[in-house]
Amino acid sequence: MTRPMAEESKPHAMVSMYLTLMRTSIITQFQYRAATYFYMIGMIVEPVIYLVVWSTIARSHGGSVQGFTPGTFAAYYIVWMLVRNVNIVFAPFFWEWRIKEGNFASQLLKPVHPIHYDLGEFAGGKVVVIILWLPIALALALVFHPSLDPSVLQCVVFFFAIWGAYLIRSLVLWALGLITFWTTRASAIYEAYFLSELLLSGRLVPMQLMPKWAQQLSWAFPFRWTFAFPITSLTGPITQRELLEGLAMQSLWIGVGTLLVAMVWRRAVARFSSVGG
Amino acid sequence: MQQPSAESGVVVEDLCKTFKVPVREAGLKASLSSLFHRETRDVAAVDGVSFSIQAGEVVGFLGPNGAGKTTTLKLLSGLLHPTSGRCSVLGFEPRARPAALLRQITLVMGNRNQLQWDLPAMDSFELNRAIYRIPRADFVRLRDEMIELLDLGDLVNKPVRNLSLGERMKVEIAGSLLHQPKVLFLDEPTIGLDITMQKRIRTFVADYNQRYEATVMLTSHYMADVQALCKRVIVIHHGRILFDGELASLADRFSLDKTITARLADGEEVKVSAARSEIAAATSKLLGERDVVDLTIEDPPIEDLIERLFSSEQRP
Amino acid sequence: MQGRDPHRTGAARLALTFLRVGVMNEVQYRVNFFIQLVQSLLTIATGLTALALVFSQTDDLGGWTRPQLLAVMGVFTIVGGMIRSVIQPNMQRVVEDVREGRLDFALTKPADAQVLVSVRDVRLWQLTDVGVGLIVLVIALIQIGDGVGWQAIVAFVGILAIGLVAIYCFWLMLASASFWLVRMNEVQELFDGVYRAGQYPVGIYPGWLKYGLTFLVPLAFAVTVPSEAVTGRLTWQAVTVAGATTVVLLALSRWFWQRGLRRYGGASS
Repeated sequence: MTRPMAEESKPHAMVSMYLTLMRTSIITQFQYRAATYFYMIGMIVEPVIYLVVWSTIARSHGGSVQGFTPGTFAAYYIVWMLVRNVNIVFAPFFWEWRIKEGNFASQLLKPVHPIHYDLGEFAGGKVVVIILWLPIALALALVFHPSLDPSVLQCVVFFFAIWGAYLIRSLVLWALGLITFWTTRASAIYEAYFLSELLLSGRLVPMQLMPKWAQQLSWAFPFRWTFAFPITSLTGPITQRELLEGLAMQSLWIGVGTLLVAMVWRRAVARFSSVGG
Repeated sequence: MQQPSAESGVVVEDLCKTFKVPVREAGLKASLSSLFHRETRDVAAVDGVSFSIQAGEVVGFLGPNGAGKTTTLKLLSGLLHPTSGRCSVLGFEPRARPAALLRQITLVMGNRNQLQWDLPAMDSFELNRAIYRIPRADFVRLRDEMIELLDLGDLVNKPVRNLSLGERMKVEIAGSLLHQPKVLFLDEPTIGLDITMQKRIRTFVADYNQRYEATVMLTSHYMADVQALCKRVIVIHHGRILFDGELASLADRFSLDKTITARLADGEEVKVSAARSEIAAATSKLLGERDVVDLTIEDPPIEDLIERLFSSEQRP
Repeated sequence: MQGRDPHRTGAARLALTFLRVGVMNEVQYRVNFFIQLVQSLLTIATGLTALALVFSQTDDLGGWTRPQLLAVMGVFTIVGGMIRSVIQPNMQRVVEDVREGRLDFALTKPADAQVLVSVRDVRLWQLTDVGVGLIVLVIALIQIGDGVGWQAIVAFVGILAIGLVAIYCFWLMLASASFWLVRMNEVQELFDGVYRAGQYPVGIYPGWLKYGLTFLVPLAFAVTVPSEAVTGRLTWQAVTVAGATTVVLLALSRWFWQRGLRRYGGASS
């Protein structure tokens, strides 16, 4: 009666798993459209504040600050919204909850590395978010009149750059969240991380408006490749060289992130398995 | 890839698991310094346990809360690493959690939910299919079999959050067995469920064991679960094995006393313990002396039984 | 105190009792004070950096000078701390309880349900924000240098109280929405996101947003108007509108809450 079950081949199984994860999360997200819209309304406010403040400054300075006009600011912050929505990933704060609820233990018992769940699930959510973003972007465009004129190459790079940003943030924050296995009081560390990110990523203002030293410092961190680069890859001003440079830097940070996750993960599991959930 | 041999079930040799428990001190200074350095003491949750279980066997794992049952199951499923000693499941060492082993085992915990809370179980099943790489045809066959055996009907199409505790447990079990595991670790699978639901799950586990010759390790607080499913029981207390053998001999050896509960006409309740051989005498004495309206005779609860087992083994 | 029926639990008394229990609970986790303090400092550092960036390019934002905006930042931080320590934890618990079906515990107590669910939790250490905000506010006032009269301070405290009540009403309506919507996990993100807008005076925003932040989400009354009180910009019109709107919000939120409760009772039985 019993027979060992056949297995699907590995690459095919991986693709199938990701598709299923994405499908599952799309269903969930659509089920809660209202909640998702709530969330997005909350998210609109942040870029709108920045946009209003900087447009006000640009106008009071005869139309532009450091080459940015209200129109280019509008383009920056409307694209900002999409980039921000795509680079939201599983947050370090939730690891504690995940371990406490036992979700983590049950994931450990599955024959797949748990990071795949988060990558697949959040990627699925993005599909919904992008669809919901379109009408919001349209409305904001009508109000703020962005000036946006990307080349074909820019559009192509932008497409890859937002997913690059998604991967970098997923990996780095995943590795950071694993700190939870050593202490549950790491929230101050996470806050410090997010603060550095806010200041050195282009989230607050375009990099060009930052002091020179901050712009240089930002090269040492993954942050600018997850905000400023994907945004300006579409809005400009950006040279062809900078576009390729950005993609290269993103690949580098995806590599670093993967390495980080692999290293910390092994220790975290060893820690979990010695102290218990 | 290592192929597990058909005979190998579960083998445990001198298994120990020690936890470091933080010693909490009161006061601001202590709690501040505990941020950096924690004083701990060792607690042995599993303390030199050895047993082996044949493939296809169903074994009940008994013991009071905190005896080390769950810890043992977690060690066997690779969630915890042993402090010393060794264990093997289907010929694999669980601590490395090799995918080939994980594909053949399952751990079901009565109070945990592994399904997607907001979605119908059907979607979670689909997810498990992808994760365990179950070929479509096998998946559909197994899924429909589970739906029928557990009488799931339309439950799999409702969001899990809308199910009752018992219904949730049934879909949970179905989801945990879709990959047709050869070893089942069931930790309190019937906790909090009503009698009918307990029975249903019991029958199902027995059926699964028969059908797939699966090895089952089961912990439960309900003696009925153990009686219905397990010929053999292992009793564990304070991390040590106190008894390992036929269930029948356990009951004979330790369940000497029964409890007589009598409700009197004035509403008072009287409890009397008596050895098996003296039940008749004690009952008639009670009936003769008091004004009894209702009377029940019961085996002592499993906790009492084990407690007695524990104390009798400890004293020289 | 004398002559009061000991079995009658007044709303204020009930609130105080719960508050005391909550504070006692929190005091057990004193280490959290330091963690929270670090977080408050990081948050204010973020705000100050944003201000510094703005004023590296300009001297005046929509008619507000740098120290005046610093004062707004201080008030913003104070109010944020109060919301996060008292209002938000309670309202979020309502959302969770409704979702998990646990609200019955609160409803079966012999007290007004709205009062009860509004005072069950307190996050004492979030008050570090209030401390940090106060320091920023004082520094800003010193920089402005005009001196603040006692009338201004009384007006500030009064308006602040009105503004907090308005925010509470808004949160209660958000929480009550969970009686209709199954999932409200994101409601806090929504509020936090919108609340950020308060770090600048609402006057700088375009009309639709300005009115939204005044009447839809009553941020203006909680942050901007109190800031006007200490920077000598307060007008009687603003006070009147704030008071009237808050009264309307009080009635509206209570009505909404009770409608939600009726729905809850109907659905859970």
